[in-house]
Amino acid sequence: MSRLASTGLAFFVFSAMVAALYAVFLYAPTEGQMGLVQRIFYFHVSSAICSLVAFSLVFLASIQYLRRREERWDRLAVASAELGVIFALIVLITGPLWARPIWGVFWRWEPRLTFMLITFLMYVAYLMVRAYAAGSVEQTRRFAAVLGIVAFVNVPLVHFSVNLWSADQQLHPQKVELAPEMVVARYVSLVAVGSLFLFLLKRRMELELASQTLNRIRQELDGERGDDGP
Amino acid sequence: MIKGVVAILWKDLRVEWRSRERLGPMVVFVFLIILVFNFSFELGGSALHEIGPGVLWSAFVFAGLFGLNHTFATELDNNCLDALMLAPVSHSSLYLAKMLGNLLFLLVVELLSLPFFCLFFNLSPGLYLVPLVAVLTLGASCLASVGTLFAAMSSNSRLREFLLPLLVLPMIYPALIWAVKATAIVFEHSRPSTTGAFWPGSLTEPVSFLLVYSIVFTTLALMLFDQVLED
Amino acid sequence: MTTGAVRLEQVTKRYGALAAVNSVDLEIEAGALLLMAGANGAGKSTLLRILAGLIRPTQGRVLVNGQPPHSSLESRAEIGLLSHKNLLYDTLTARENLLFCGRLYGLEDRRETAEAALANVGMSARADTPVGTLSRGMKQRLALARATLHRPGLLLLDEPFEGLDRRASQALSQRLTDLRARRETTVVVVTHRVDEVVDLVDRVAVLERGRLCCDSAWRGGSLEELQALCDSHLQGV
Repeated sequence: MSRLASTGLAFFVFSAMVAALYAVFLYAPTEGQMGLVQRIFYFHVSSAICSLVAFSLVFLASIQYLRRREERWDRLAVASAELGVIFALIVLITGPLWARPIWGVFWRWEPRLTFMLITFLMYVAYLMVRAYAAGSVEQTRRFAAVLGIVAFVNVPLVHFSVNLWSADQQLHPQKVELAPEMVVARYVSLVAVGSLFLFLLKRRMELELASQTLNRIRQELDGERGDDGP
Repeated sequence: MIKGVVAILWKDLRVEWRSRERLGPMVVFVFLIILVFNFSFELGGSALHEIGPGVLWSAFVFAGLFGLNHTFATELDNNCLDALMLAPVSHSSLYLAKMLGNLLFLLVVELLSLPFFCLFFNLSPGLYLVPLVAVLTLGASCLASVGTLFAAMSSNSRLREFLLPLLVLPMIYPALIWAVKATAIVFEHSRPSTTGAFWPGSLTEPVSFLLVYSIVFTTLALMLFDQVLED
Repeated sequence: MTTGAVRLEQVTKRYGALAAVNSVDLEIEAGALLLMAGANGAGKSTLLRILAGLIRPTQGRVLVNGQPPHSSLESRAEIGLLSHKNLLYDTLTARENLLFCGRLYGLEDRRETAEAALANVGMSARADTPVGTLSRGMKQRLALARATLHRPGLLLLDEPFEGLDRRASQALSQRLTDLRARRETTVVVVTHRVDEVVDLVDRVAVLERGRLCCDSAWRGGSLEELQALCDSHLQGV
């Protein structure tokens, strides 16, 4: 069942990607001022949305984990955090690529760039806590959940403060007027990237479940081998 | 609740008085970092007023991390944390006591190094000593609120001291932005040419942000500290 | 009123798949002295920490004086624990350690109590010495004074004779004898020095791989018999 769903979803992601490539590169017109490079926009924005959705999922899953102590919430949290970091990284890579020809530089301490960078770093720290924990598995999960909550509360504060900190550096357009074909391309690519996100999320959670099960079997075997007696 | 906080805080101060493991190194550290900045940027001259507040806060944050790492060091030595958890004292009291302790240490370090900082960098807080102290206190409480929570987590990690900066720094950036801004405003208004009110109006916004930040994260930490300590 | 009655209902603590303590049911009446035995890694220390409220069980309930120790401050005030580590601050003096403990437990007459406790373990002369410079046996004596400072209704002792010399061991046995005579304190003791407690034990509980495999009253008898009872369930492991 789950396998069938995975295959179905994979097929959907593939078709959506093909459709998105068509929409982005062939269907949508080339933007007048920026030229070809503007087409990176479709993936840039979709990835940004996905990463923020992922971090919200980390937040919700962390709260649920602390309340219910069920492993599935922890699986959701870890999978979302990793994907959020990856999609944020995509944003941070595509952004400068787009910025170089338009702004003349790869990087500016511009509010949205700074916001994405700080948020990205907070969730890198989240993954570090998980990777380098010393205590029991349960403790690691609790620590991660606490961080997942605290970091997410910080997200709006980061947003607010970098916006005021470098308001004069603001280069992202606040409102975008898009040609109708561009709007279509935008939504098609959002569906494509979004479904890719969901597909990866599902697979990552399955992987986590498998590794948890493996650990359990290992521990049970260790237990049977007998660890008592001097 | 208050009794427990006072007892633990008093104990920590006494331990610090005996061992002097935190304050001394922190103060020296602040000086060393200020000198690092001095040599890295060849300070002196007109750039000073521009980057002075940034240098000051960078030094405080790094020295602060140094001190924060020590928050639970004494408790781990002989499993003393168990004794605190056994006692009829709530975990929130433990957080508050540790947080206030960190705040106090940070403040002492800030106040001790401030005169020298002003001396080295030819700055004078002048009339604005009160706003400056308010900014320093609030900035320190932002660092202490987040730092104390994370110190409890990092003391239980394989990276130990190294994990804390990784956790605290990205979290603290918003507060850092405002603390630097507020400090810059204070020094701006303290130049001999400017005269003005007791409290520069432009200071209200950054100061209230720092206040909100520290309240938000102290509250959140109080709610979550149980989860960090539980075995 | 005697306090310190303990009740465990189906208590389980899992670490991953490993159940350190597995479905333990145990009831200890107030004032009794329970000897907890079992091989290394059988879960004795974990169970003791669960009783102390330091570990929250994965399943089941722990009640000390009718309340769960990890969430109820009143029930925590009734518990004293002597563990492997001494729970003392090395940089503070013996007296300061006890005074701090007194403050934590909100004792009214903590100065007198601390002095009395120091005298009780024969540490008055070293009251102003930093704990870090004391010998191991002295630290252990002080740790005992710390654990019993607030007159707990439930005293949990994890290898209390460890590091004590002959005289100190006898003194501790004597303390336990006094406590038991007054029937005010429930004592749970984990020790392999069965000889020190043979005349005090009311009940014996034996753990094997986290399970309670023996829980029986002890109506007195020789050291050999007690030793045999403690070891009886270690066969065939």
